[in-house]
Amino acid sequence: MATAVVARPVARPQERARDEEVLVWPDLVFVEFISAMVFTLTIFLLSAIINAPLLDEANADVTPNPSKAPWYFLNLQELLLHMDKGLAGVIVPAVWLGLMAIFPYFDTDNEGQGVWFGTENAVKITVVSGIISFVGTWLLILWDNGNIAQYLNGWFGLSGGDSLRFLENARAFQSQLPWPEWSTHIPYLWFDLTLLDQPFHHLNFPAWLVEQAIPVAFMVGLPTIMVYVLWRVGWVRTRRDALLSIFTGFVVTMGVLTIVGTAFRSESEELVWPWQLKLSEGIPGQE
Amino acid sequence: MAVETPTKPTIADKIYDKMFHNYVWKSIFRTGYPNTPRNQMLVVATNVFLHLHPTRIHRTHVKITHTYCLGGLTFFMFLGLTVTGILLMFYYVPSVERAYLDIQNIETTVQFGQLMRNMHRWMAHAMVILVFLHMMRVFYTGAYKPPREFNWVVGVILLVLTFLLSFTGYLLPWDQLAFWAITVGTNIAGAAPVLGPKTKFWLLGGFEVGPDALIRFYTLHVIGLPLLAAIFMAVHFWRIRRDGGLARPL
Repeated sequence: MATAVVARPVARPQERARDEEVLVWPDLVFVEFISAMVFTLTIFLLSAIINAPLLDEANADVTPNPSKAPWYFLNLQELLLHMDKGLAGVIVPAVWLGLMAIFPYFDTDNEGQGVWFGTENAVKITVVSGIISFVGTWLLILWDNGNIAQYLNGWFGLSGGDSLRFLENARAFQSQLPWPEWSTHIPYLWFDLTLLDQPFHHLNFPAWLVEQAIPVAFMVGLPTIMVYVLWRVGWVRTRRDALLSIFTGFVVTMGVLTIVGTAFRSESEELVWPWQLKLSEGIPGQE
Repeated sequence: MAVETPTKPTIADKIYDKMFHNYVWKSIFRTGYPNTPRNQMLVVATNVFLHLHPTRIHRTHVKITHTYCLGGLTFFMFLGLTVTGILLMFYYVPSVERAYLDIQNIETTVQFGQLMRNMHRWMAHAMVILVFLHMMRVFYTGAYKPPREFNWVVGVILLVLTFLLSFTGYLLPWDQLAFWAITVGTNIAGAAPVLGPKTKFWLLGGFEVGPDALIRFYTLHVIGLPLLAAIFMAVHFWRIRRDGGLARPL
């Protein structure tokens, strides 16, 4: 029996609509020229008014407190206050970039292409996902910082006493629960594994729970719940809709994390109002 | 039937004719002044810089609210950063002994040095913001959909390259801001499971930020990453044309 090679449909450029076209010169070149001029002028004026920062010469013995990464990495720096450093700083951004790169292979439908918010519920989904992510991220930061337990106690006199103290923040699950002795060193394998000079011998289960499991559960679970709920109420109908919700959630969450890391983290990464920000330039010889 | 009688050419016509219809001018600009549709298309098609564009474009795409020119402006920032960066390179030596002093010299003794440094820095920030906004524009207009899947992937790579370009440049002034930001940043990379410590060592050329890190970041900043970015940009722009220009509704 002959097996036919079935040609799969390959996406091709659209047919041109020649009667809808205008000339690039002057219509497009003019727009480009104006926007380039506007930017040149803006950057020029900005540079004439505000000087680029230059602090004292680099000194490995003087540690400013807090030391901050460039602003576009402060979202990651904020994230790594709340979980394992490797998870926050490397795995989360790497996995996200990988996921984002395969968006078009997940959502292959041409629906809503080429126009702003092309699907029926796109604007609703974007706005609601944005609000949920904004509020949710703030709540999570405040909870993990212990503020929420503090407010509940201070404003309503609510206190779980010592028995509920493990709910104060994520890491309290490790420190405030009576973990049995063996749970802190569960062997991974029957032999001691070492990879690139790094030991992988024992699993500290409570530490793994608060540094990896709980954060991952939140980062994967909450967006999933958001998309599920939006699907159940009938807003999310296609893959495009689901991506709109997730992408908006990501952008807003990263935005909140960047702003918190930039304007709300003071000395020793303490969470304060922007007008209370302090920076100590460091004392020689002191870490 | 009225017959048009040719008028005598004025002095202005004669000067115009001498300036633009001579052998040398024609050897540089093959097409005439772009005041007819034919010349307007030719000027775009035959000019090496303008031929990035098609000669004609769908009318919805020239509306500023469709793209806000974000991709083009990101590229424009890249060009501006190249120009100001080359000017700064004349005065900057990436050694621990000289780097900070050179920046001070650029700010105080070099003509327009402070202006060049300021423009380089603000354009770098602008590029990071613009490239992110461009990504948002492409996402919210659904412009990553077939047949533009792969160009979105190239775009994600360019986003990473933009971050890396900015990050490597951050160390070069060799002041406290630079030193500790890179220390924090590379510590984040060093926290990766298994590969982290090796990656950090490879990035810094040592266990902490020092002279080897400075020369590595400098080399990556002024040649390695810009070259890579230029290659991916070439692919990115080429693919826009090959995939049928900007996305529009079916």
